[in-house]
Amino acid sequence: MSDTSNNYVNFFQAKKGIKSWIFTLDHKRIALLYLYAVMSFFLVGVLLGLLMRLELIAPGETIMKATMYNQTFTLHGVIMIFLFIIPSVPAIFGNFFLPIMIGTDDVAFPRLNLLSWWLYIAGATLALLTLVVGEGPADTGWTFYAPYSVQTGTNVTMAVMAAFILGFSSILTGLNFIVTIHRLRTPKMKWFNMPLFTWALYATSWIQLLATPVIGITLLMIVAERVFGVGLFDPAIGGDPILYQHLFWIYSHPAVYIMILPAMGIISEIIPTAAHRTIFGYKAIAISSLAIAFVGYFVWGHHMFTSGMSGPARIIFSILTFLVAIPSAIKVFNWTATLYKGSIEINTPLLYTLAFIFQFSVGGLTGLVVGALAADVHIHDTYFVVGHFHYVMFGGTGFAMFGALHYWFPKIWGKMYNTLVAKVGFTILFIGFNVLYFPMFVLGLLGMPRRYYDYLPEFTLWNQVSTVGSWILATGLIIVIINLINAYRKGAKAPVNPWGGVTLEWQVKSPPPLHNFDRMPIVSEDGPYDFSEEYKQKIKQA
Amino acid sequence: MMEHFVLPNSGHVRDAESNKLGMWLFLFTELLLFGGLFIVYLVYRALNPDAFLLASFELSIPMGTINTVVLLTSSMTIAMSITALQKGKKELALYLMMATVAAALIFMVIKFFEWNAKIHHGLFPGMETYSSLPAGESLFFFLYFFMTGLHALHVIIGAIFIAVVIAKVGSDKVTGERISLLENSGLYWHLVDVIWIYLFPLFYLIH
Amino acid sequence: MKENEIQHITSFREHFSTYVSLVILTIMTVAVSVFGADLLSLTVLTAMAIATTKAVVVGYYFMHLKYDPMIYRLLVGIVMLLFVVFMILTIFDYVFR
Repeated sequence: MSDTSNNYVNFFQAKKGIKSWIFTLDHKRIALLYLYAVMSFFLVGVLLGLLMRLELIAPGETIMKATMYNQTFTLHGVIMIFLFIIPSVPAIFGNFFLPIMIGTDDVAFPRLNLLSWWLYIAGATLALLTLVVGEGPADTGWTFYAPYSVQTGTNVTMAVMAAFILGFSSILTGLNFIVTIHRLRTPKMKWFNMPLFTWALYATSWIQLLATPVIGITLLMIVAERVFGVGLFDPAIGGDPILYQHLFWIYSHPAVYIMILPAMGIISEIIPTAAHRTIFGYKAIAISSLAIAFVGYFVWGHHMFTSGMSGPARIIFSILTFLVAIPSAIKVFNWTATLYKGSIEINTPLLYTLAFIFQFSVGGLTGLVVGALAADVHIHDTYFVVGHFHYVMFGGTGFAMFGALHYWFPKIWGKMYNTLVAKVGFTILFIGFNVLYFPMFVLGLLGMPRRYYDYLPEFTLWNQVSTVGSWILATGLIIVIINLINAYRKGAKAPVNPWGGVTLEWQVKSPPPLHNFDRMPIVSEDGPYDFSEEYKQKIKQA
Repeated sequence: MMEHFVLPNSGHVRDAESNKLGMWLFLFTELLLFGGLFIVYLVYRALNPDAFLLASFELSIPMGTINTVVLLTSSMTIAMSITALQKGKKELALYLMMATVAAALIFMVIKFFEWNAKIHHGLFPGMETYSSLPAGESLFFFLYFFMTGLHALHVIIGAIFIAVVIAKVGSDKVTGERISLLENSGLYWHLVDVIWIYLFPLFYLIH
Repeated sequence: MKENEIQHITSFREHFSTYVSLVILTIMTVAVSVFGADLLSLTVLTAMAIATTKAVVVGYYFMHLKYDPMIYRLLVGIVMLLFVVFMILTIFDYVFR
C-alpha cells in the first residue's frame, strides 16, 4: 500500500456532472449527498436554536411573540430530530463506510439506497414548505401531541406527512443495511469479526425497521383525525388522549437509540485507533448494542410519568428504564479501559471522543434522574429535561458526528485539514456547548418550565449565561466548518492511513476507488482491532 | 485499463437470498404498521366492550366469511404458481397467478358492497348517523374503516404486484431459475392474507 | 451470491392440504362465534388462538418458513414477541387505571 501515485480513478473522478450525483447508485456518493443535505438542515436548526436563545435572553417578549416561539421550537425539533440526528450518522457515515468496513463494494440494494435519499429530500422539502404554505409551521412541539395537534390551525397535516415520508426513508436505509450485513460480508469476516461501528449500525437498523412503522401509522391517524374530525383520542366518545402518547413514544423512545447507537459505534472505532491497541471487551460492546436496542423498545412509558398513566405501569416503566443504563455503562467502562495504558495519540477525533464520553455520561446520568419516577414528577417538563437530552443528543451524537467527520475526512476526500485550527475549533465548541446547556440543569431544578417564550425574573441570570454559551458554540461551529471547507478546497494530500487504523477502510486508497477494493481485503482472524505487527506486515505485503 | 477486480461478495450481483431477506424485513414493517392499529383496537375494545359488541352486529358474518375463504384460496393459488414455475409448467403458473388476481378482484367487489351498505347507513366517519352514535361505537366504525381500508389498499397493491410478475413470467424475465420476484410477490400476498385472518374475527365475530 | 442454491419445491398436494386445514379452521372460528356465545370472554381467546394457528400455518407452509433457514423463523419469532410485549405493556396501563 506504499503506492500513493495517482494511477487509479477514485470515485470522485469516475463520473462528472450533477446527474452523476443525484442519480448515482454508488454508496459513497449517496453518503456525500446525505452529508451536504443533512449539514445544511443542521445549520438551519442551529439558526432556529440561536433565535430561541436570543428570545430567552431576557424575560418577556424580546424578539418574537409566543406563537412564533412555539413554531420556532417545533421546527427546531422537527429539523434536528428527523432531518439531522436520525439520518446523520447512519445515512452519512454508515452509507460510506459500512460496505467498506465489511469488505464489499456497495450496499445490498443500491437503487433502494438512492430512493431513500430522494424520500429524505421530499420529506425535507415538505417540512420546509410548512413555512410558507397555509397558516404557518406547526406549533405543537415535535411530539404532535393530541388533542392540540388536531385542533390547532397551523400546518400540522403537512408537517406530519413530512415526518411520515422521512420515516419511510429511514426504514429503507435500515432494511438495506441489515441485508448488507447479513449477506455481503467478505467471506472471511465472521459476525464477531465485524468492526463495532458495523455492530452499532446493525442494532440501529433493527430499531429503524421495527419502530418507525408505528409512528407512521400514528401520524396517519393524526391526519385522519384532522380530515374527518372523528375524535379518535377524545374521551367524550370513549377514546383516550394518553393512547396517542403511548403510540408516539413506542416509536420515539427507540428512536433516541437510533440517534445514539451509531454515535457509540463511532466512538468504538476512534478509541482503539487513537490508543493503538485492541478494544477492551469487544464482544461486550457488540452485544450491548443489541441489548440497548432490545431493552430500548420497552421503556417508552417514562416519557409519560405525569400524563395520568396508571401507577403500576409507571413503576414498571421506571424499573425497565434503569435496565438500559447497564449496557450503556458497559460501553463507557470498556472505552475507558481501552485507553488505560494505551499509547494514546491526542488527535482531533480523540478530542471529540473524550468530549463525547464526558457529555454522554452527564446526559446519561441525568437520564437516570428523570427516569426515576419520584424525581421526574418534579422535574418533568422543566429545563432539566431539555438539558438532559441536549447533552445526550448534541453533546453525544453531535460531537461523535463531528469526531467521525475529522476521523474519516482524510479517507473520504484524500486531504488533510489544519489540525491546529481543528483543535482550537473543538475547544471553543466544547466550552460553548457546556456553557449553553449546563445552566439548563440548574434552571430546571429551580423550576423553570420548558416550551415558554417568557420566564420569571429570578431565572434571568442563568438564561443569560446560556444565551452567551450559544454564541460561543456558534463561533466554534463556524471555525470547525470553515476549517473543513478549506481542507476540502486546498488541503494537503493525506496519507492512506493517517491515524494507524486497522479496520478495512484503511486498506483502500484515499479517496476510495469506485469499487472500493482492488484486491481481496485482508481480514485478521483475531478480530477487527488487530494491532499486531504480523497483521500489519500481511497488509503491507499485499 | 484492466477490467476492474470484482469481489465475490459484490453488492452488484443478483442474489435471490438477499431479495428474500429484504422482502421479509419489509413484511415486518408492514406488520408493525398494522400493529399500531391493533394496539388502538385492543385498548378501545377494552375500554368500550359493550359498544364494540353492539356495533359489530352491523357487519355481515356471511360476507366476511366468504371473503376470508376467497383470500385463503388466493393464497393457495399463488403458492401453487411458485411450485408450477419451479417444475417448469409456465402456463399453469400463469393461470394460477391470474386466479390470484381474480380472487383479489372478487374480494374488493364484496368489500365494496359491504362498505357501500355502511356508508348508506351514514356510518362513515363524519356522516350524520356516525356523529350521533353512542360513545365507543363510533370508535369501532372508525377503526373498521381505517383498518379494512388500509388492508384493501394492500390488496390492491398486492394485485398490481402480481400483475407485474405475470407480465415478467410471460416474457421469461422471471423463470424457475430466477424466481425470486414471484416468491416475493407471494410473500407479500400471504401477508395480506395473514392480516385479514386477524381482522376477520376482531371485527365480524365479536359475540 | 449463491444463485444456484438447491431450492425446496413444495408439492401441489401439500399446498392443497394446507388450504383445506385453513378452511376448516375458518369454519371453526365462525362456529364458535355464532353458536358458542355462552362462552363469553373465552370466545375472544378462542378466536385469537384459532387466528394465530391460521397465521402460523400460512407462514409455515405457504410462506415456506418450514423449509427456510432457521434465521427466518428466529426473526419472525422475535418480531412477534416484540409486538406482543408492546401490547402487554400498553394494556398494563389501562388495566390498572
